[in-house]
Amino acid sequence: MIDHTGHPTRRGALALIGAAGMPWPAHAASLRVATVDWSVLETLVALGCPPVAAPELRQFREIAVEPAVPEEVTDLGLRGTVNFELLLLSRPELILSSSFYVASEPRLRHIAPVESFSVYAPGRPPYDPAVAMTQAIGARLGVAAAAERYIAETEAQFAVLRERLKPLAARAVIPVNLGDARHFRVFGDDSLFGEVLKRLGLANAWTDHTSYSAMAPIGLEALVRVPEAHIALIPPVPPGAMEILARSSFWNALPNLREGRLLRIGSINPYGGLPAARRFARLLTEAMIAAEAARG
Amino acid sequence: MAELAARTRRQLGARSGIWALVALAAAALLGAVVMTRPSLPAAPDLARILESILLWHSLMPRAVTALICGAALGLAGMLFQRVLRNPIADASTLGIASGAQLALTIASAYAPALIAFSREGVAQVGALAAVVLVLGLNWRRGLDPMTVVLSGMVVSLVAAAASATVILAKGEYVLSLFIWGAGSLNQQSWDAVLALAPRLALSAVAATLLMRPLTLLGLDEDIARGLGLTLHAARLAVLGLAIWLAASVTAEVGVIGFVGLAAPALARELGARTPRQMLLAAPALGAMLLSITDSAVQLLGSGFNDLAPTGAATALIGGPLLLWLMRRVPPTQSPQAVDTSWRPDRQARSLVSLVPLAGLILAVATLGLVLGRGPQGWGWATGTLFWDLLPFRGPRLAAAGAAGALLGAAGCLMQRLTANPLAGPEVLGVSSGGGVGLLLALTFLPTGSFAVLAGIAGGSLAVLIVMLVFAARPSIGPQRLLLAGIAMGALCMAVVSTAMAQGDLRAYLLLVWLSGSTNRAGEIEAWTGLMACIALVVPLLLAIRWLDLLPLGEATSRSLGLPVERSRLCLAAMAALATAVASLLVGPLSLIGLIAPHLARVAGFAGSRDQLLAAILIGCGVMILADWLARLVVFPYQVPVGLFAALIGGPYLIWLLNRGGARNG
Repeated sequence: MIDHTGHPTRRGALALIGAAGMPWPAHAASLRVATVDWSVLETLVALGCPPVAAPELRQFREIAVEPAVPEEVTDLGLRGTVNFELLLLSRPELILSSSFYVASEPRLRHIAPVESFSVYAPGRPPYDPAVAMTQAIGARLGVAAAAERYIAETEAQFAVLRERLKPLAARAVIPVNLGDARHFRVFGDDSLFGEVLKRLGLANAWTDHTSYSAMAPIGLEALVRVPEAHIALIPPVPPGAMEILARSSFWNALPNLREGRLLRIGSINPYGGLPAARRFARLLTEAMIAAEAARG
Repeated sequence: MAELAARTRRQLGARSGIWALVALAAAALLGAVVMTRPSLPAAPDLARILESILLWHSLMPRAVTALICGAALGLAGMLFQRVLRNPIADASTLGIASGAQLALTIASAYAPALIAFSREGVAQVGALAAVVLVLGLNWRRGLDPMTVVLSGMVVSLVAAAASATVILAKGEYVLSLFIWGAGSLNQQSWDAVLALAPRLALSAVAATLLMRPLTLLGLDEDIARGLGLTLHAARLAVLGLAIWLAASVTAEVGVIGFVGLAAPALARELGARTPRQMLLAAPALGAMLLSITDSAVQLLGSGFNDLAPTGAATALIGGPLLLWLMRRVPPTQSPQAVDTSWRPDRQARSLVSLVPLAGLILAVATLGLVLGRGPQGWGWATGTLFWDLLPFRGPRLAAAGAAGALLGAAGCLMQRLTANPLAGPEVLGVSSGGGVGLLLALTFLPTGSFAVLAGIAGGSLAVLIVMLVFAARPSIGPQRLLLAGIAMGALCMAVVSTAMAQGDLRAYLLLVWLSGSTNRAGEIEAWTGLMACIALVVPLLLAIRWLDLLPLGEATSRSLGLPVERSRLCLAAMAALATAVASLLVGPLSLIGLIAPHLARVAGFAGSRDQLLAAILIGCGVMILADWLARLVVFPYQVPVGLFAALIGGPYLIWLLNRGGARNG
């Protein structure tokens, strides 16, 4: 689940200390840490240890939205082409990476020790790895208690939302992204959204196989297979697509649409960590309850 | 004459069986699609309603759209081929589809209001720009078929790289743009049919009215002019019609490659000869071809998932078809008809003038190592800071420089080898093969930097071997080798874009590779590049005589005692190897290999040896400069260096070719 690519021996030692319930080294909390991955970034911010540098912050603030990244964090440029010079000049003592960026790891190791997490892997549900990553980051940065608290809070929040959703739980949900006015991308059981649905006591209406979280492109006509489901429409919505759909007789004939089961929710990073999971759970619940109220 | 007509009619009669068979196959497959549609899990009443929605708002419009798009592309292809007198002209080989795609990509990322206002208009502008560019590149060269298609494919490649860059910068649009790029026929309304059917009808009428010019366009220019046809006006009218039609299809359903190429070719195979016959046969065959392909991807997929976007599937068929069609391309460039601009200029420079050039490169390289931007703005890196940054700036610079040098050498080889000034290493298909290798590695190997390297190297090598086996055949001239490379490249890119349409993590890594960046270059990459430079460039200097003689044409070379086939194979292998290493370092799509040899020639280095060395140095220098600028202009964000180099060199190249063409008449 966690790749011990950095310093396996030290990590092992830390784990032993943790298991023995010994206090953490005091200096660990002030470790200058940088990251090249968004799911790590949001976890770091959520645990109250924002990194010194992270990639593509402009897009992050637009797409992942929360948690809010402090202004002091240095923007490292695109995730695909992280600016190594700037990362070096940020002088991190530890770089947290993910399986997404394996090809860059030799470069990163030049700058500081690297520890890599693998939350998203083909055919494996991401929730437990996200929890494990949160714990590992907490342990590494000396905020293990905060990490455990955050995980517990997340579970508690899911429990509260599950209660609120009980009256609506008979209906499945299909989480989709619109590709254009004719296609969508669907998130299956092995996606973050699928995992959250399970924890909210809701069924994912898309029961077919998906590889690597999502399946695309699928023709919009496939929605006739899930006439009873809530359609959770996750941004970004391509420009002009909704206008075209509003005129489409197919779209308007779908029972989901006629009966007000299209949920337009806020932007979420589909490849996020626990903060993204919590955001999805909250936004989905709000949208479902609002839709129910609108139906009367 | 009458006898000929009778024979044609007999042939057509004999072929009518084949026509019926093709039509039957299309109908049967469509029937199978309708019969095997998945059952719907709903209450019987609801299921009945949904069934009818599905049938009448999705399956039927899709089937009709396939027929109309196929017919439109067939008609457009036939018009292109006739007006350009080019049997391999098509919306995909002329860069029309990619131009439209790039325009839509840029508009959706930066001006969504434009798309909402008129998606169609944006696509038309992009398509027109691409055609103007391609034909502009070739106008003064008399629109030689091979060269037109060559520049069309180059324009397509650059447009693809530019699209990839825009998508990378606007990450979340990946999905929508790649579905569109791969061309999908899924429909949920009759909108596409209603938009395209009138255009198809209008175009068919216009084409019928243009029948006389169309017939005459098949003749020699002088004869046509003698018969009172204002040639340019007629050509432009037909061309405009075809572009409009092809761009309309692209705007509605995305890039559907090669149908416009295949339909007229098959029509000729089935005996259509006169423009009148072609006017009926090409659209009819196009319609059936696309319908069959579309039914096949639906039947081979599962549930509602198609096996692949239809557009990608047509490209998979189209690549091999292009290879097969090559034998019909007339050898327009007779061996002696070497591009006049290759003649050595009188004021040719000597090798000594390379010294200042080398000095200049050293200066740029030094500047690249010490001057940069940091959190506090611009700054000179000295002392400890210099040594801290060196492990990042050094390998990057070395990789960029080595890639530039290799591409310069490969380009020079390709252009000498084919006596075609628009040949370049990018069109060999080798670098696109790297993409397929990368895709396979990402799918089947455990992720790691080894998988990335092994994938790209393995893929390039596989395509390289195929190309060499192909090149070793005695009947293959250099022009056909180039075309085979293009077909191979199109095939590989179709596979890559199908994978990218999935919009998953692999798509992201493929995009990073496609856009081309030296950012990740480390010691391994730097040493690979430098070693390849030494291992590939030094032997070339021993093969200078080959390079001197080959452009003189096959007969001349042979009479001067040159082992033509063997030397060609050797040089092609060297060029392909250099390209493979370079694409590993800077991605598949920089134009340096195309541009550097021209810059060398303009600078006055005319002899083979001088031009080769100058092209290597210029490639190296431009790439180092591009790399340095690419990491500075939008700091901390970075522009992919390959694209940046293309943006620097591309416009200059066009200006150069037109100027050169004008001077040489």
